[in-house]
Amino acid sequence: MHIDLRKPEFVMKLDRLGSFHQSKLSFLRSFIREFKDWAFQTSEFELNEKGYGHCVYIVNKEDKKYSLVCFSNELDDSERSDRVIATKWDASFVLFDGIPTKQDIQRLKANVPLQEQGRVTEKELCLSRANKSVRVFEHVVDCLSQGKQPDTKLLYDVGYLYRTTAVYGSGKFGLADRIKIQDRGELKGPFRLEMMLVFLARQFTFDMVNHVAKMRSPKLAVKLNDEIARNLGIGNSTGLGMAPFIVNHPALLNQWILSKEKALQSIRSIPTTSEQEKEKFQNYLSTIQENIKFWKTDSDYQIKKNSQLIEDLENFQKYFSNLKLEKFFWNNTYEWVEKNTQAECCEFIVSLLMEVYPDIVEPLSYEMSINEEDFFDFDSSRSIGDICALIEKRYAWLIDIDFEKKNNIFNFWYYSKNKQEPRMSDRFSEDGAERELPLAIARDINKLYLELKNYAESEPLSSYLLKNQEYRHVLRRIFICEKLPYSEIQDNTISKSLIPVDMLRLKLSFFGATRFDPRSDRWVRITMYQGAPLMKEIHQSDDTWSYKKIA
Amino acid sequence: MHSLYEIETTVKRVARHQGLSWGVAEEAGKVVRALEQSELPGLESFNRLIHLPYNKCQTTIDVSNKNQDILCPIHFGLFFFDQSHKSNLYQAFQFSNIQEPLLAIPLLIKAAQKNLISFNFTSNEFNFFISPGNVILLNKDEIPHQSKNIVLDISNQRQIQYSEKTWEQLYELSLETFVEESDEKKLSGAGAGLTDND
Repeated sequence: MHIDLRKPEFVMKLDRLGSFHQSKLSFLRSFIREFKDWAFQTSEFELNEKGYGHCVYIVNKEDKKYSLVCFSNELDDSERSDRVIATKWDASFVLFDGIPTKQDIQRLKANVPLQEQGRVTEKELCLSRANKSVRVFEHVVDCLSQGKQPDTKLLYDVGYLYRTTAVYGSGKFGLADRIKIQDRGELKGPFRLEMMLVFLARQFTFDMVNHVAKMRSPKLAVKLNDEIARNLGIGNSTGLGMAPFIVNHPALLNQWILSKEKALQSIRSIPTTSEQEKEKFQNYLSTIQENIKFWKTDSDYQIKKNSQLIEDLENFQKYFSNLKLEKFFWNNTYEWVEKNTQAECCEFIVSLLMEVYPDIVEPLSYEMSINEEDFFDFDSSRSIGDICALIEKRYAWLIDIDFEKKNNIFNFWYYSKNKQEPRMSDRFSEDGAERELPLAIARDINKLYLELKNYAESEPLSSYLLKNQEYRHVLRRIFICEKLPYSEIQDNTISKSLIPVDMLRLKLSFFGATRFDPRSDRWVRITMYQGAPLMKEIHQSDDTWSYKKIA
Repeated sequence: MHSLYEIETTVKRVARHQGLSWGVAEEAGKVVRALEQSELPGLESFNRLIHLPYNKCQTTIDVSNKNQDILCPIHFGLFFFDQSHKSNLYQAFQFSNIQEPLLAIPLLIKAAQKNLISFNFTSNEFNFFISPGNVILLNKDEIPHQSKNIVLDISNQRQIQYSEKTWEQLYELSLETFVEESDEKKLSGAGAGLTDND
C-alpha cells in the first residue's frame, strides 16, 4: 500500500501548525543526541556569596571547543522585565567559539550584560539573557540552605528556575555569521548552537541555587536533588519577534515540515507492527497523559485546547485499547485520529508515533537544514503563463481572498524602532503602515497574480520585470514553493482573525518546547529541556527523557 | 566590524527607505554583502550612491538609448540578470555613465553564470571582464606575463572595508524603515506587563 505525504494544503494551515508538539525531530533533542559523547565541564565558577559574578562551561571533543560564558548581576525587582525593551537581566550568556582568554572575559563582561546595547565579535556565536522566577528561586535557595529539598509541587507548577527572554545568533549584534560555522559536522541541524546555549544555561541555574544556598548556610545546605533538577527545564518568554522568522525563511520551514511529514509517511507505511511496538507506544501515551496535568496556563485559548486534547486522548485511548494488530496498524491508527480528533490531539499522536521508531526518525533530523542562498535567485525566462499556473496550483487558497475587505488587510507588520523587533498593529487605527514589512505574503501574491493576468501567457517573466519590480520579493517565494511545497503558511498573515501565537507555537515546537502558556494572542511562555539529562549525565541519554513521568 | 548579516540587513532597509521595492532592496543587500565578503568596498560605494542623492539615479534601463545618464548600478545589474536570457541582448550597448559600477558586478557575475555569457565592461575610468567560469578580470591589459617576489597572504579574517562614519550614516538611515511607537503602543504591542516577578 502506498501512503502519500500529507498534503501542504492540509498541513500548512495555521490552526494545525499552531498545534504541533515537540518530537524526536525537535532541535533540543537532536542537540543532545549529537553532543552526548562530547565532554562537558565547568571551567570557571567565580560567583560571590549572593551569586553575582561569572562562570564558564566548556563543551569539547578532540580539538573542537565551545564555551558558555555566564554573567550574573544584581537586579532590582522593579527592573525585572521579560520585554525586549528591558535593559537589565538577572543573567546574561554568550556562547564563545573556543575557550575565552582573560582578555576575552573582560571584553565580554563589559558587553554581554548590555545585550543589544553592547557589541560582540565574530568570536562569539550566540547571545542570550534570562530572568529568575523569583518565587521559585527564593524558595529553592531557602529550602536548600536549611538542608531540605524544595516543594516539588511549586517547582513543577512553574517548571524552571530562570527563563530566557531572547536568544540571538547568526550575525546579530556582531556575532559570527552563519557562514562561519555552517560546514561544521556537529552543527548540521538547525539552531544547534542556540540549543547548546540553553542547555548550558539550564545547568548554570542549578549550579547557581546550590552555590547561593551553600553561601547562605555553609554547614546546613544540601544540593538540589538530581531527580528534582532533571524535572526542571529552563523557561522562555517569547513575543512576536519570533513570528516573522517562519515567513522569512520559507526554504528552511519546508525542511522542518517535510522531515516531519516524511517520518509520518514512513511510519504509516509500515505493513506489520509488533506487540512490543504497540506496547511502547501505549507506555509513552500513558506517561504523557499524566504529564499533561502539569501544563498550567491562564490563557482561555490554551485551556480550551488542552481540555480538548485531554478529552480527545481519552477517546483515543478507548479506541486504541481495543485495536487489534492488523496490517498497516499505524496507518489505521492515524486515519482514525485525523478523522475523530482535533488538530491538537492529531499532531500529538504524530509526535508520539515518532518515539516508537528512532531508526526512521532520527536520520531525518540531518535533513532539516538547507542553504537558503540556493533559492534566492529565480529564472526570469519562465513564461508568465507558467507562473500563473504555479500560483493557481500552489496558492489556490489565496486567489479568491478579497483584499479590498478591511478584515483581510486588518493588520500590518512593522519593525519597532523602540524594541528593535518585528511587531504587528491595526492598519486602520495605528500609524506606521507605510513602513510595512514584506510579510503580507497572501495579499502580495494575490496582487502579483492579478497583474500577471494582464500579460500574454507566452511572454517571459522578464517582460513583466522590465516594467514592475514591486512584487519581486514574492516572486522568489513562488519559485521556492514550486520546489519546496511546505515552504508557505497557507493563511493570511495580516487578517483580523490571525492568531500570532500559532506562529510562535510552530517554531517553538520544532525547538522542543513544552508547556505552552500563551499570555495573550501574541506572547507565550514555554519550558525547554524539562526532564532532560543534567550536564554530568548527558552521555547516558537515550533520548527517551521527553516522555518520562514528572514526579 | 559588523557581521555580514548586519551589513546585508542594514543595506536592505536603507534601500527600501530610498524607495526601492522590497524585492530590489533584498538584491541590494545581497550585492553589498557579496562585495564586503570579497573584501571590496561595497558599503562605501552604496553609501556614496544613496547620498548622491539616490533620487537622481536612473532606475529604468533602456538599452536602445545610449544617452542614459546616472544609471543606478543595482537596477543596471538587475536588468542584465533578469533580461540576459534573451539572445537579442548579446551585442554591445553604450551608456553615458553609471554610478558606482562596483555595485553592478555581483549581479553581472550571477547573470554570466546563469546564462553562460560574458560581460566586457570598458569605460574611461574602470574596465572589467566577467566570464561564466568564475573568473573576473578587472583590467585585462594589466595582467603580467610573469610574477616575481610573490607573497601569498592567506587569512580567514575579513578586513573592514568602510569607515565607522559610513556605518553610522547608513545605520541611522536604516532606522527610517522602523516605526516609532507611542507609550500606549509599546504596552499593547506584545501584550505583556512591564515587570515579570513571578
